[in-house]
Amino acid sequence: MTTSHRLPEPFGLYIDRSRTLGFDFEGRHYSGLAGDSLGSALAANGVKMVSRSFKYHRPRGFLTFAGLDCNSYVQFGDEPNVQADRLVLTDGLSASALNVSGSLENDRDAYLGHFSRFLPVGFYYKTFFRPKGAWAYWEKIIRRKAGLGNVDKKTPHGYYDKAYLFADVCVIGGGPAGLSAALEAGKTGAEVILIDEEARLGGSLNYAFGAGGQERASKLAAELAKFDNVTVLNPALCTGWFADNWLAVIQGNRLYKLRAKQVVLASGSVEQPMVFRNNDLPGVILGSAVQRMIRLYGVRPGSRAVVCTGNDHGYRVAQDLRDAGVEVVAITDLRNEEAKCVEAGALAAQGLRILSGHTVYEAIPERGKRGISGAVIDSITGEGEVSGSGETLACDLIVTSVGYAPLAQLMCHCGGRMKYSDALHAFELDERPKDAFFAGSVDNGFDLEAALAEGAQSGWSAAKTAGAKVGKEPAKPGAKGAEGINYPWPIFPHPEGKDFVDFDEDQTVKDVINAVADGFEDVELMKRYTTVGMGPSQGRNSALNSVRLTNKANGRGVSGSTTTTQRPPFKPESFGHLAGRSFDPERLTAMHHRHVEAGAQMMLAGAWYRPAYYGRKADRLACIEAEARNVRNNVGMIDVSTLGGLEVRGPDAAEFMNRMYTWAYKKQKVGRARYLLMSDQTGAVVDDGVACRFSEQEFYVTATTGGVDGVYRAMLRWNAEWRLKVDVANVTGAYAGFNIAGPNSRKVLEKLDCDMDLTAEGFPYMGVREGRIAGIPVRLLRVGFVGELGYEIHMPASCGEALWDLVMEAGAEFGIKPFGVEAQRLLRLEKGHIIIGQDTDGLTTPAEADMLWAVGKKKPFFIGKRSLDIMAEARPLERKLVGFTLPGDSPVPEECVLVIKGDRIVGRVTSAARSEACGGIVGMAYVAPEDAVPGKSFNIKLEDGAYIYATVASIPFYDPDGKRQEL
Amino acid sequence: MKILNCPLNGPRNIQEFVWGGEVTEMPDPNRCTVAEWGDYVFLENNTRGVIREWWCHAATNYWFIAERDTSTDEILKTYPAGEVFTVRTDFEVPEEDSKG
Amino acid sequence: MPLALLKYGLSKTYPARRHFPSESDLKSSYDIVIIGGGGHGLACAYYLAKDHGITNVAVLEKGWLAGGNTARNTAIIRSNYLTPEGVAFYDESVRLYQELANDFDMNLMYSERGHFTLAHTDAALRTARWRAEVNKHLGVSSRVVFPDEIKEICPEICLDDDVRFPVLGALYHPPGAIARHDAVAWGYARGAMERGVEIHQNTEVTGLEIEGGRVTGVKTTRGTVKAGRVMQATAGMSGTVSKMAGFKLPIRSIPLQACVSEPYKPVFDSIVVSGSLHIYISQSSRGEFVMGGSSDPYGLYSTRSTLDFKEGLMSHMLELFPFLSKVKVLRQWAGITDMTPDFSPIMGETPVENYYIDAGWGTWGFKATPVCGKRMSQTLATGKVPDILKPFALDRFERFHQVGEKGAASVGH
Repeated sequence: MTTSHRLPEPFGLYIDRSRTLGFDFEGRHYSGLAGDSLGSALAANGVKMVSRSFKYHRPRGFLTFAGLDCNSYVQFGDEPNVQADRLVLTDGLSASALNVSGSLENDRDAYLGHFSRFLPVGFYYKTFFRPKGAWAYWEKIIRRKAGLGNVDKKTPHGYYDKAYLFADVCVIGGGPAGLSAALEAGKTGAEVILIDEEARLGGSLNYAFGAGGQERASKLAAELAKFDNVTVLNPALCTGWFADNWLAVIQGNRLYKLRAKQVVLASGSVEQPMVFRNNDLPGVILGSAVQRMIRLYGVRPGSRAVVCTGNDHGYRVAQDLRDAGVEVVAITDLRNEEAKCVEAGALAAQGLRILSGHTVYEAIPERGKRGISGAVIDSITGEGEVSGSGETLACDLIVTSVGYAPLAQLMCHCGGRMKYSDALHAFELDERPKDAFFAGSVDNGFDLEAALAEGAQSGWSAAKTAGAKVGKEPAKPGAKGAEGINYPWPIFPHPEGKDFVDFDEDQTVKDVINAVADGFEDVELMKRYTTVGMGPSQGRNSALNSVRLTNKANGRGVSGSTTTTQRPPFKPESFGHLAGRSFDPERLTAMHHRHVEAGAQMMLAGAWYRPAYYGRKADRLACIEAEARNVRNNVGMIDVSTLGGLEVRGPDAAEFMNRMYTWAYKKQKVGRARYLLMSDQTGAVVDDGVACRFSEQEFYVTATTGGVDGVYRAMLRWNAEWRLKVDVANVTGAYAGFNIAGPNSRKVLEKLDCDMDLTAEGFPYMGVREGRIAGIPVRLLRVGFVGELGYEIHMPASCGEALWDLVMEAGAEFGIKPFGVEAQRLLRLEKGHIIIGQDTDGLTTPAEADMLWAVGKKKPFFIGKRSLDIMAEARPLERKLVGFTLPGDSPVPEECVLVIKGDRIVGRVTSAARSEACGGIVGMAYVAPEDAVPGKSFNIKLEDGAYIYATVASIPFYDPDGKRQEL
Repeated sequence: MKILNCPLNGPRNIQEFVWGGEVTEMPDPNRCTVAEWGDYVFLENNTRGVIREWWCHAATNYWFIAERDTSTDEILKTYPAGEVFTVRTDFEVPEEDSKG
Repeated sequence: MPLALLKYGLSKTYPARRHFPSESDLKSSYDIVIIGGGGHGLACAYYLAKDHGITNVAVLEKGWLAGGNTARNTAIIRSNYLTPEGVAFYDESVRLYQELANDFDMNLMYSERGHFTLAHTDAALRTARWRAEVNKHLGVSSRVVFPDEIKEICPEICLDDDVRFPVLGALYHPPGAIARHDAVAWGYARGAMERGVEIHQNTEVTGLEIEGGRVTGVKTTRGTVKAGRVMQATAGMSGTVSKMAGFKLPIRSIPLQACVSEPYKPVFDSIVVSGSLHIYISQSSRGEFVMGGSSDPYGLYSTRSTLDFKEGLMSHMLELFPFLSKVKVLRQWAGITDMTPDFSPIMGETPVENYYIDAGWGTWGFKATPVCGKRMSQTLATGKVPDILKPFALDRFERFHQVGEKGAASVGH
């Protein structure tokens, strides 16, 4: 097809006639020009139908030609729901129609339009549910029919990133008001960022004001370019305006997060459609859209046009159409009085037929509804009523110009509101957010000179408020020209229907009226019931007319009514833009690479990675058993760097420990470690660890890997209130640590150059020391989670790997092997030590965990104390943690299978494993308190529903007297 | 994204902070009634309006107090906790208990 | 084409059937006044009329009906809770939901999709098993599944093990469903109205009349009415309303945000939740992906949206579903949830005689709408709290006897 609809210069500001681009749409090849959008290139090729509607599959063409509707939605490769009028044309581009059964041209679902009378508003609520289960059948069919584009499951994640921007003044919108605002703010030296969706600044200057407008836009843009302190971000789209002027701006594959001291919103307005029969067909289009086609892309939108207007803009449009070689058959002016503008006079003088008090009442579809062949015009006899003796005019284009709605959605994101103005018959800005200014047609400023002046004043005021040194205040703007722009009732319902209010959702006048009749009188309820305004254009093209209709039908009157709440984003944002390059921090211990080299399977522990076990996944159990056996028989080593480390120092350190933890620390001896248990305000166990007292005023406190950040924060929070003389530092990352455990552990250390007395007498169990090993400063803790002679060595993280290597080397002759978290879990289970979070849950008390031994009785206070006292007094325990054994031939119960008594759930298995050292299965479980007696048995319900009987056993299971760890 | 003015670190994005709930006064745990303690532990003023609340700057673990309107999310002022908690808190066991 | 639609096509005038009454005057006195015209309040009114024949009832709503969290939730229905009390309660809710369309003569688009709670850590896997075992024991269909089975049911989930948070397994709950949330409230409203209950929109409660510790009336912006019994069901506004009755609640009002994508052709059926990644997603029958995450980080009564919510959500969403990168968010919003310390609701009696409460739903009030309505109507009708509600009494906190639903609650959907 030739580009027969292309107009000669000077039309087509955006296009480069020297560069032809080939592209495909719906399998047909076309050519366009550089600077075209897919939409303009299609229009230039005479293509009018670009999509089918959501519900009835009616042909749809261009509406706003500004990316503000979804009539132009196409499938662009693996990207669904792309606006053809915003998609920049590239050579070889290929796109197709979406939501069609077959092809755009021959959509097998087009028959649905004939059934519209059987598909009343909310029809899906009225049927499809009997008999029970019917919806499961219907839903599949309806889901296939619903939805627009196709999501390609092979779409790659793709590259998206983010950046921060800061501005004194951010101007949103590069039309006359925005340009003028940016310029004036720029003159003050303030940091200014101007955001515009178009590649070329100017907005309506470029399409609505003839050659003179374009000249002014160029001049303003050139002047703006002189200021180094003004950054223009275009084409870019501000999609959200959040608290404290935090703006989301999308450009290319980047999401900018822009913090502005002041915002000037000059985002303009969107022309509103008329409502009449067949107002949705290709060829029925907005005045501003044809102006864009003509001026920006040099596309002749049709051959014969009927213009229907309710304001003076329609006459400019008619003039533009004639300039572009379109025959204007007639102008119907909804107003009774004659238009007084210059253009109207000129057109009348040229003999153009102008009918006041008339409307287009119906569009006559061409065969197949792929365009229109005529317009029925009629005289208006009342609000939305016509004489009935209309006249049909042959035409292929109906252009309407009946008013605008502010594009103030962004303002509503951060608390602004719009309401209906009786004087203007339009929405106007009502509540406005602070630190913001408004200029141009977003604030119903339609007079060009006034908009420019308003922009200048807003830019100046914004810069001044942002703290810039400003010069003389710009001249006050003249009259805004807000009156007479919006025709009050451009809605002409038709008894045969097809008078669409919402194109996205295929909702017509009667759908809105019937919704009100069903009781959905509030606009918000009407919206939810009809789905008007819930489609991809979010009511930009339907809110005004649907609010008018609803408030007429419900008798409340449109006066003062509001729009439904406008939510971000202004236009849809891709998940990729919002996600950016996902940054999820990872923490690796100093010895991490050694574990990987040794073949460890790593597991997540918060942000950390820890070795679960060393060996192949297929050998998991055997690896764990071998590692545990080596600890029991020789010596093993486990990385404990992820455990939290906190330094608690100061004259009140012991008092502070006493308050934070359940046990008593005031009398703890220097050089000794003591177990720690922490409960929260409600008395629930939340963390544990050990406290090492290195001096009167100095505790080194360990915490669980997952708990340390919370513990640290809680400590600081409490002391902000208590004002004790104590300082707390989180040194978790500063120290690396590993535990060397097993009967040979002392021998290994003795082999190293260690300046501490390692003898049982000189350094007994639960002792802590500071010294050096191989010159590396270390803290040595004789604590035994796994129940063997052992030492926990803490050293500066920078030395972790070196010391690990030295110990491995020294231990080689004693059979040292690293062991992982899984073996440690088994070993500690054999010793009956709990793991917080595994053997406890969000409500476990020390009594339930059978740990009252770690709760100080004589202290006046610790966090949770009073709550625990109250609970102890109020009622008997409901469950208690016990050790249990199972016969050797039992299956090992999975953790968290239930303990059942009668038919009641009384607890669960928290840990269980087959233990070589204990010669059978050992575990821990919550049981009924009366059963928490060694020797008693209880029921465990396995995953498959089978019950097994477990016997309560005293813990530790292994080495009950603790002789091995105290060697 | 709101800006919260940390008394220690200056104005920062609120994402950097952790909320600590309303500032409430702990009753004497050894003398108050069960109901008073339950109120302190569980019940919330949950005020719709201006409240005084704890915030912690996560990166520096600095706790401070903010006054914020919970109906509008407007932050009215921020200051160090020491302006409210001016003296050291001590806990004592009531005399009749400490003897036993 | 179902026959039920014929009458619409064949009748000359639209056969309207109102869901909500038009504005009318308040009477001077009601047997029962329900504060809050959301799903819960309307359900209670419906069952008062239907089950107990009590119709001298007024539902008072300060805005438009069901415009609070009923309109803002993400419409997931399930009963795979952790505590036996919770499971029994939500199981009854699911059963009622399954019959609701027939009761209402209205399609609620109740759609069983299967519900995954993914586990990325061994701790999460343990919790999954705990929930599965409790569910199974109480007759609710749930089981732990591993990647091989997940792949068969929902192959769209990324199960690669070289990602930051590999999927280790999941709690799978086949009855997990979605429904058209607004329609649930509309159905209850119509059913209640047609049985004689009064529903008053734009009627804000401004105070309560309490004499000798007993509630006797309700003050509103449209005058004062006498009331025999009163129930508050006001979600995020629970604390504000309870203060009028003179008592505090263990509730923080915290925004919960959600968003939907544009509509697309069907991609997957399952409801997928990841507690570790703080996300959930399902695709509605309209084709929109409905998504959310964890609650906002601080208390607030404003329903503003934030950008960081979407950023965090999508960053993790693409880890599970990388192919959604070009899918677009259409709309985001927030509701004010009423969070309790133990993540369990509060239902039943209050310190004020004849004054009842339905609150503390946090992020899962929608799924409890039928059972709560039914059982609270029983409570209001008889003055006795049924056993199934007893664990959720307000006074459990002063008894220091919480319901431990916290373990299942990292992301509440």
